[in-house]
Amino acid sequence: MTLTTFAPLPVVEEYREIVEDRGYPTVREWKRRTGRAAVGSFPVYSPVEITHAAGMLPVGLFGAGNQIEMAHADSRFQSFICSIVKSTLELAFVDKLAPFDALLFHSICDPARNLASVMARNFPERRAIYVHLPQNMASSGAAEYYAYELRRVAAELGAVSGRVPSDEDVLESIVAFNAMRSRLRDLYALRAERPANLSTAELYTLARMATFTDPLESEPLLADSLRSATTRDARPKDRIRVVVVGSFCEQPPLELIAGIEESGCYILDDDFLLGWRLFRTDVPVDGDPYLALARAYLDGSLHASTKHDLRVPRAAGLVASARANRADAVIFLGAKFCEPGLFDYALYRRALEQEGIPHLFLEFEEKMWMYDRIRTEVETFVESMLFV
Amino acid sequence: MNVDGSLVAGLDVGARTAKAVLLDAEGRTVGTGIARMRPDFTGLARDVLAAAVKEAGASPDDVAYVATTGLGRYNVPFRDLQITDITAVAGGAAHLFPGTHCVLDIGAQSTRALHVLEGGRVKEFRTNDKCAAGAGGFAERAARYLEVKLDDLGTLSLKADSAQVISSVCAVFAESEIINLVSVGQSVENIVRGIHDSLAQRGQQLMKRVGIEPEITFVGGMALQAGMVRALEQVLGQSVNVPERPELVAALGAALLGRQRLVRQQEGIAA
Repeated sequence: MTLTTFAPLPVVEEYREIVEDRGYPTVREWKRRTGRAAVGSFPVYSPVEITHAAGMLPVGLFGAGNQIEMAHADSRFQSFICSIVKSTLELAFVDKLAPFDALLFHSICDPARNLASVMARNFPERRAIYVHLPQNMASSGAAEYYAYELRRVAAELGAVSGRVPSDEDVLESIVAFNAMRSRLRDLYALRAERPANLSTAELYTLARMATFTDPLESEPLLADSLRSATTRDARPKDRIRVVVVGSFCEQPPLELIAGIEESGCYILDDDFLLGWRLFRTDVPVDGDPYLALARAYLDGSLHASTKHDLRVPRAAGLVASARANRADAVIFLGAKFCEPGLFDYALYRRALEQEGIPHLFLEFEEKMWMYDRIRTEVETFVESMLFV
Repeated sequence: MNVDGSLVAGLDVGARTAKAVLLDAEGRTVGTGIARMRPDFTGLARDVLAAAVKEAGASPDDVAYVATTGLGRYNVPFRDLQITDITAVAGGAAHLFPGTHCVLDIGAQSTRALHVLEGGRVKEFRTNDKCAAGAGGFAERAARYLEVKLDDLGTLSLKADSAQVISSVCAVFAESEIINLVSVGQSVENIVRGIHDSLAQRGQQLMKRVGIEPEITFVGGMALQAGMVRALEQVLGQSVNVPERPELVAALGAALLGRQRLVRQQEGIAA
């Protein structure tokens, strides 16, 4: 028996607290350093390449976590609306979104649609840009439509930065994001292959760092972490292997992710921060960049509950992921009041039961700060599988 | 079952003490360790494991699997698996007394009642609330008030001739009652028996909620006190099993379950 543990990853140590800091200190520092603008992007997916090509820093907006009290947003949204929508609005009310020169919203669900207009009405001085994502993924006109929509968004973003990006600018940004996403894919592959070498809490911190850092700066940090994690001499623990789904938009607290792992699970695949690593492969850079982005979204992206695609049922994708990762079970970690996620759970559950894959349903809110109950549920689930 | 000559350790990192039980390839206990709690959980776990390894005449490299349980089960970075107290206690109690259907575990901070099925599988369980009134920590504080050693409570209680009633459900108020009883001249023996009666009644209430069914096994540090065992048997109106080392049952259960996992791993069964 080896009574040693390996050293933490330096990038994870550096960013562990920053990822939860709704003062966006690194974004403020980037703006001071470059004199350029920053754009906040509501999840799930955002065409960050275009923001970047327009000379601005795309930053993921992932609500307020458990960092602020709701004082204003509750009077703008009903009690049955998910936390991330309300807390994002609350951040604006308490001036935490000041670093952002514009905000991007997308047609992913009704509350997100409404957030865009509520934000625009309450804060007319900050431009709110709405991206109409294609709804019919299989339509022959979808790629052309979405490429057109992306050009419209580029013009709007150009009005914010003062520079409408050229096609060459967009291609350069695609190259930068391709590299960053490629490192994330490498890290995900390492975790799936050797989960003892890289915990999901660490991987999440790294991926979250990439949501507020220029890809030209985050890619080397991810590459360095990949090298360090790969060379770790890690003794695997006795845990069950799980795939986690349901947290594609509102994000669970980092402590909750760590708690699930500590309770006896190796997480092999997940949909955390999904939009920032949505594309399965590099986006081609040898043609019309807008059309390439559109086709990547339509035909080359991961499953998402906010992306309705009848060609490949999402439940089948989940089962395939569980099989490919040799997972013992699936954990559905769904945000409270998340309609797209909860609708999918019904389909996931049926498919998993048909396939004989054990599963556990857990519900979270970003503002939660006590995890005892969920840990007990996970431990009980794990023990039911380990000691049959 | 064969563990290929490898040792399996069960570590119970509890609220007052950390305990280790080491099993050999045949599932026999070959070493134990126990140490008083201190803030450095990891170091403490290493120390109790080292003590058990030393007692077994083995080396740390002989330990093939470490299963942890107890309050500090997550604070042992070199563990293979952590197991809830509920599952570990049930496994240990059922191993020692295969006819067990009901287990009462009173530790320093928690009291648990378990209804156990054959083979130690848990059918139902209840734990005390966060208040320490129903757990051993209360007895420890009472001993301090009464200026007696904790280890002496068991024999003092057996000498009682008129058990006093400790009625409060709250440890703080119960301590006030104890002080009042001292001030009116009640003997320490009678007060200690009142404390044991109080703990026994709380244990009985928990057990009722999971269904009292013989055989009953009483484990945890409080089961070391003979007076406590007698109080429980009188409250329940039946005898209870008490292991020789009741404080080690959770660690033993963790070790047994760890051994089960090690065997399955060696057989190539993941989960």
